Amino acid sequence: MTRLLRLALAAGLAIWAWRFFVRGREPHERASVAYADGSELVLEPGSPEFVRLASIARTVLPS
Amino acid sequence: MNADQALAELRELSSQVARAVVLGEDGGIVAGTDADATATQHLAEAAQALVAAAGELHGTSGDVSRAEVEISEGGFFVLREGGRTIAATTGPGPTAGLVVYDLRTCLGSIDDKPKRRRTTRKKADEEASE
Repeated sequence: MTRLLRLALAAGLAIWAWRFFVRGREPHERASVAYADGSELVLEPGSPEFVRLASIARTVLPS
Repeated sequence: MNADQALAELRELSSQVARAVVLGEDGGIVAGTDADATATQHLAEAAQALVAAAGELHGTSGDVSRAEVEISEGGFFVLREGGRTIAATTGPGPTAGLVVYDLRTCLGSIDDKPKRRRTTRKKADEEASE
């Protein structure tokens, strides 16, 4: 039982460390569009479509 | 409440929203949080440009109900419902779901039609009964 608890603690610590040190430093960029027919598009950062929407957003966001 | 009151309430409730503008069915500015009219106009034009660009990905711009972009500088959200459009900017790393919920609530709370005065009808009823 103690071994299981230690394993769970180690797993939790590893996930926290990964999120804090690795994922937290990645630039968070995303874009999505929803349509009246219920469909939704999620644009991949770096794609031409994403770059186009991001360039429009940049015109109203502080640099 | 009118659009100005709805935007004021949005600013009170949402700490994430930095600037916002409400557009009517014709695309005209109904209300904005910026004191500067040029800045409001610029935000409105960007919202329309985002909707147009998002619409081209699917078909027509009239079909877009929500567009959101999050980049390192912040977030830009546009929501369309019932012919009206609301656009808002946030700082970096916004909670997208919460911002969209706040914008939807703001848009839904706008009521252009003045409420009928109950006293007028009551008075008319009294006159008719006499």
